[in-house]
Amino acid sequence: MSTLVKPRTLFIGLTLLCVLAIWLSLALGPVSLPLLDTLRAALRLMGVPIEASGLEQAELILGQIRLPRTLLGLAVGGVLALSGVAMQGLFRNPLADPGLVGVSSGAALGAAFAIVGGSFLGGLPEVFGPYLLSLCAFLGGLGVTALVYRLGRRNGQTHVATMLLAGIALTALASSAVGLFTYLADDATLRTLTFWNLGSLNGASYSRLWPLLLVSAGVALWLPRRAKALNALLLGESEAAHLGVDVERLKRELVFCTALGVGAAVAAAGMIGFVGLVVPHLVRLLAGPDHRVLLPASVLAGASLLLLADLVARLALAPAELPIGIVTALIGAPFFLYLLLRGRA
Amino acid sequence: MRLSASAIALVVGLMLNPGAHASELPQRWVSAGGALSEWVTALGGESKLVGVDTTSQHPASLKALPSVGYQRQLSAEGILSLRPQVLVGTEEMGPPPVLAQIRNAGVQVEMFSAQPDLPTLKGNLEHLGRLLGSEAKAHALFTAYEQALDRQKRWVATAQATHKAPGVLMLLGNAGGKPLIAGKDTAADWMLRQAGGRNLATHSGYKPFSMESLAGLSPEVLVFADRALTGEAARAALFKENPILASTPAAKQARVFEVDPTLLVGGLGPRLPQSLVQLSAGFYPPQATSAP
Repeated sequence: MSTLVKPRTLFIGLTLLCVLAIWLSLALGPVSLPLLDTLRAALRLMGVPIEASGLEQAELILGQIRLPRTLLGLAVGGVLALSGVAMQGLFRNPLADPGLVGVSSGAALGAAFAIVGGSFLGGLPEVFGPYLLSLCAFLGGLGVTALVYRLGRRNGQTHVATMLLAGIALTALASSAVGLFTYLADDATLRTLTFWNLGSLNGASYSRLWPLLLVSAGVALWLPRRAKALNALLLGESEAAHLGVDVERLKRELVFCTALGVGAAVAAAGMIGFVGLVVPHLVRLLAGPDHRVLLPASVLAGASLLLLADLVARLALAPAELPIGIVTALIGAPFFLYLLLRGRA
Repeated sequence: MRLSASAIALVVGLMLNPGAHASELPQRWVSAGGALSEWVTALGGESKLVGVDTTSQHPASLKALPSVGYQRQLSAEGILSLRPQVLVGTEEMGPPPVLAQIRNAGVQVEMFSAQPDLPTLKGNLEHLGRLLGSEAKAHALFTAYEQALDRQKRWVATAQATHKAPGVLMLLGNAGGKPLIAGKDTAADWMLRQAGGRNLATHSGYKPFSMESLAGLSPEVLVFADRALTGEAARAALFKENPILASTPAAKQARVFEVDPTLLVGGLGPRLPQSLVQLSAGFYPPQATSAP
């Protein structure tokens, strides 16, 4: 299969795009800062000793609001795209997305439990309260995925098709439980739940960022090492096994990395759709299906695109903000349709 | 000499003090809470508002201000771009990390309770009055409010001495479709009781209801709050979407009344007493007794 661009060109282009997206994400926002102030504040944040007079506001906006938000966007975008590649590789289907193994619906269930149940529990200790939602979403995603994986296993082998169907069944089950929480919720909690389901990078803070950064760095370093095995898996499970790939172990790793990565991303930023589905597609379209290129390129592309989508989210309605899930779906859904129709022509 | 010097100091001090005091008060306000924005306006602070949230719909002039979005989903940088000195909102305002960021940027963040009761309102008005430098007006407004609710209570008591409290259901809907019924522990329930009605719904919160069981309760009065339509259009849509409502005693006797859904969020607002008077007049028809 011929590719549109050489891997080298692709990486240079994506790196430039990513740097541009980071810069725009730091430089633009509802508060308009002079370019020079942004530059000086950025240098100061990097530890360059510059005279601070008149920079207080720029430093605060950059350091406390835009930088954590940018880091969150990078990590979430990168890890979602990477998990998308992992799932499309595992199911050997370019239409697979991380939601298939139940991680998204599990996280949604955890979040609904935290948002609705949290008000019943009431007297939680102060330190624990703010993290309850993230923790429940993370554990929910991990739990449902573990169950899907377990259901897909028989006689020491993982049947991908069974896993797929188990994922669909458990997703339906989880949505009905979310529906029950929705019924129990009052008006205000309901809106919180709705907004959570649309995702947002709003209100990013360093204390919530670290767990996600660690997890996504781990996943981003680990998965590309398995690129060759994923390439072999493209040929089929038995073919991959003949080529010397421990297929069972690979499947386990892919599911585990996806659950961990998507779980952490969703816990930090809520549900953000279409990144995991569309970004790997986009990269495959440009550079072909070789996972040695696909995996790292998807990280860069996912991170850049999410930052750009976030830019739209925070600027379109300023001083109010659009949930980022609306923006990604608005771009992602038509693109997905285009892919479908293009295949048919 | 010493005496006159201190006298001058005193006079100068007195002259400067109100000015100095006023300049310390926040002059640029963002309000995230419908009822709060109304009270800020009632206290004469509308010109200080530089942004409001999407629940601030009254008075209509507030809609011209920049919108900071929904009160639970505020954006730190968005709000900071309005350069406010104070952000007021109910305890529903959030998310908490954003409020922390706004606080760190040196903006005063003031939380108010949205509990629908008089002691809460008293505290809220005093607090707002202090922030706006119009304590006296806040006090006067509260006294008038208290008196209005008191008059209301007495009127209802008189009416109930001779008439049975009507069984009421409150329907919240969007263009008539699938209304939610207001149960216990809601602002709507409080309103119905203040107006002298008996809420037939026994669940808590706002819940969807099967139309069959709704008709089975035979409400004597229906009160609806529609988020999309008002007046006759809303009434027509309600009966068109839910034909079974037409068989209720309320519909047969044309006792179907409307309240503004914005009255039901964010605590007691300034327009509430007037709506209660109107509701009461509907609950106890004029031939039975005179309006409060």
